[in-house]
Amino acid sequence: MSDAAALVPLLVVVGGAILILLLEAFWRPVDKTPLAALALLVAAGAGAACARLWGVGASAFGGMLRLDDAAIVFTVIFLAAVAFTVLIAWKYLPRQNADCGEFYALLLLALSGLMVMVSSPNLIVVVLGLEILSVSSYALTGLKRDDDRASEAAIKYFLMGGFASAFLIFGLALLYGAAQSLDIRAVAATFAGPDGGSLLGLAGLVLVIIGFGFKIALVPFHMWTPDVYQGAPTPVTAFFAVGPKAAGFAVLFRLVAPVGDQAFRSAKIHAVLGILAGLTMLVASLTALRQRNVKRLLAYSSIANAGYLLVAVLAGDGVGLMFFLAVYLFMSFGAFAALAAMSRRGEEFHDLDDFAGIGAKYPWLGALFAIFLISLAGFPPLGGFLAKYYIFSAAVQKGLTPLVLVGLLASLISAYYYLRVVVFMYMREPVRDVEIDVDVPALYLVLFLCLYGVLQLGLFPGRILIVLKRALASLIM
Amino acid sequence: MPLLSLIIFLPLAGAVLLIFFPRDRKGLLYGFALALTLVVFAASLLLYFRFDPAAAGPQLVEKTAWLGYGIQYHVGVDGISLFLVLLTTFLLPIVLLSSWSYIRDRIKEYLIFMLLLETGILGVFLSLNLFLFYVFWEAALIPMYFLIGIWGGKRRVYATMKFVLFTMAGSLLMLAAIFTLSSLFFKATGTYSLNVFDQARMVLNPRLQTWLFLAFGLAFAIKVPMFPFHTWLPDAHVEAPTGGSILLAAVLLKMGSYGFLRFAIPLFPDAVERFLPALSILCLIGIIYGGLMALVQKDVKSLVAYSSVSHMGLIMLAVFSLNVEGTTGAIYQMLNHGLSTGALFLAVGILYERAHTRLIKDFGGVSKIMPVFSAFFLVAVLSSAGLPGLNGFIGEITCLYGVFAANKIYAVLAVMTVILGAAYLLWMFQMVMQGPVTNEKIRAFPDMSLREIACFAPIVVLMFWMGIAPRTFTGKMDATVTAYVQKLKGRERVFVQKAVPPPAGFRLDAQERLPR
Repeated sequence: MSDAAALVPLLVVVGGAILILLLEAFWRPVDKTPLAALALLVAAGAGAACARLWGVGASAFGGMLRLDDAAIVFTVIFLAAVAFTVLIAWKYLPRQNADCGEFYALLLLALSGLMVMVSSPNLIVVVLGLEILSVSSYALTGLKRDDDRASEAAIKYFLMGGFASAFLIFGLALLYGAAQSLDIRAVAATFAGPDGGSLLGLAGLVLVIIGFGFKIALVPFHMWTPDVYQGAPTPVTAFFAVGPKAAGFAVLFRLVAPVGDQAFRSAKIHAVLGILAGLTMLVASLTALRQRNVKRLLAYSSIANAGYLLVAVLAGDGVGLMFFLAVYLFMSFGAFAALAAMSRRGEEFHDLDDFAGIGAKYPWLGALFAIFLISLAGFPPLGGFLAKYYIFSAAVQKGLTPLVLVGLLASLISAYYYLRVVVFMYMREPVRDVEIDVDVPALYLVLFLCLYGVLQLGLFPGRILIVLKRALASLIM
Repeated sequence: MPLLSLIIFLPLAGAVLLIFFPRDRKGLLYGFALALTLVVFAASLLLYFRFDPAAAGPQLVEKTAWLGYGIQYHVGVDGISLFLVLLTTFLLPIVLLSSWSYIRDRIKEYLIFMLLLETGILGVFLSLNLFLFYVFWEAALIPMYFLIGIWGGKRRVYATMKFVLFTMAGSLLMLAAIFTLSSLFFKATGTYSLNVFDQARMVLNPRLQTWLFLAFGLAFAIKVPMFPFHTWLPDAHVEAPTGGSILLAAVLLKMGSYGFLRFAIPLFPDAVERFLPALSILCLIGIIYGGLMALVQKDVKSLVAYSSVSHMGLIMLAVFSLNVEGTTGAIYQMLNHGLSTGALFLAVGILYERAHTRLIKDFGGVSKIMPVFSAFFLVAVLSSAGLPGLNGFIGEITCLYGVFAANKIYAVLAVMTVILGAAYLLWMFQMVMQGPVTNEKIRAFPDMSLREIACFAPIVVLMFWMGIAPRTFTGKMDATVTAYVQKLKGRERVFVQKAVPPPAGFRLDAQERLPR
């Protein structure tokens, strides 16, 4: 299709963001509900524009922006993430004194960055997207201006993000030297040959992996994650756990999956990534064992999940990767929405002790949170199990059995810390009085949508798998 | 009518409906759950009558595509699983009825978890696809986790976490083995299948079998539990509420021994043969150790728990005898153990509700005050100890017969289970029920209520029935068991053709092929 069609979703999102900014500047609504509604509308509009291109595809700017089926799948995941974030934030922000209209504009801008990242075949454009995303993310993190923790998180994120970008761009420069191009396929092709690529290219690829390692929080580049996740407002944390991670893995998959593991040098890349994956799963799970703050615990859980996703990349299992991300969208947002519900005006309850007795006091909230945690722990018949099953099964077929054993060990450890939260909710007597606001219909909408997603994807994912297979075909083509 | 699916998913449907019931209407909640489990029991009785005793393979099979990659919804019943299904559906109404006065708060959740547990257990026994089996196997864990954790005793959180983590550690290794089997099957045939019968046709290299068997075997050995993986059991049994203990001992443990019969042994016969001495010795240690531990327990409930370790040891020894008598005996003894241990836990629960203690020293002379209860309890004790005329005798004698045919020394040692069993059970019965009334509180105990008799009576009837007319039951097993043993004995043996390359970890490059 024409240039314009590929640009429409992006234009809708960016236009929406600017409109919200202008409205906030000149209209200054006291109640930000219209802005939230507008953001939802924008997400829906972009989704409709994307859906129209399914199976057709479109490209703009001489192929620099290409909306193929895979890009559409990822965009839809991002749009859902943004919609969930807006719904969670709707009541949450005013109650936590962080109610500014810019939130919605920044969120949409971050979304546009994500969309650029997954829909460009050129690494420079990918980096552009990444920077748009990052700058908006720094601001979103520090949204609670009076909160020390939030400010610390924002600064930390900013500094670490800057580092990561430096690694990334230097790596790109080296890659360009090796491949004479920054087209992802051309770059990957230089490593696919029998000699496994030049040393220059290898160095570049390693630097790029480090850069992305920071962004998607792989151990040992994860140190910023718990602080940022804990300091950011809960809806923003939920968004961080899904959006940037999905985009980062989309790029990493396209870059690394075609790299064969036969030749000497490219085999090294696989070995290094395998070690990173193993470390990420184990270290994150072990550290999570000691957390008493549930938000921080979920941050470590999100790091551990990055490890599972890296296994999917190594196994070359694109369908498994996208399926895991789709399931993770629902599990993670469900869990964070439940966490956001544990709050009242000016106060949030994230300590493990606060969760004691919640299961009896707020049965619906407790049950839903327990279901998301159990799904994260990977118990069937919920989505989390099936997602891990596909990834690990593909990895065993590729001969990555040791890595799978590490992953299963990490799952066992993770079962302990997820179930510990459930223990507190259902099996402990309350130690302090926790009163939360329950009048949050939008939040419960998110919770139930996520429940539906976790169950549907866990039990009858049939059609979604077909969609994902088609998307993968467009990616490899 | 898809009878098996109906049996599996009716409890699940009931659990979902229960969510919308008012939480303070105790009678309504119990009535609904009880009626539902009775319907499920009736449906499984239908299963019994429809079951063709002459056919060896699975019957009433339902099979539909589900998730691709060889993952199918595939259920069927055969002579091995038929009675385990019946045992489950038979015990569930009893368990619910026995909980009436024991469970005071959060009744609705209790009933929901009980029904979910029933679905999980029935799914485990009826699945014929490895993936489906694993899904039910793990799904059954969650309700039990809540049942122990919410309604259990003082150390319930510790006990339930231990139970979950032990079971999960085993089952995750089994999952890795399932991945490997799936991948091997694909490499050998070019198609995916996790159907247990397709998988059993694959002849694997013994070295690979060893690994895979260890993974499967560990999962099942933890569940049974076989010595030395039994440490979760006393904790879980003692802390669980009465209903949970009954189901745990009577049915959940059987998932382990069933797993050996259905999966571990048919899939990896060479590895089983290789490990047979080690496995049998573990069983013997379990028999003797469990029995000795039971002798020194101060708490009636942990005495019954350790008696389970001992009895399950005999069952597993019979399973590993790999002959028709031993296998039949093992299945029969699984049912017996389900009934007798279920009855013993029921009796302990009845005592506990009156005395709020389970320590043996706090009791004495109860039979004078509670004569009806005493009679029921005695039957349960004698059934567990293997008195002729009751079910336990038939099971134990068949098991021992099978073990004897396989190895005489094992049989001699295995008789210890009967001797020790009689010792600790009768000693406990004597201390608790007979002699003078030592504790004045006992005088105030009311005898069994009608509800409690209604719980206990069906079990006692069945004990006599199984002890007097075992053909009612074994008649439906014979064809399956004979075919199972024949397949095991008559299988094609493979040997390593040439020196294997040095082991580079756990590689999947073994020679595998499909016989015609």
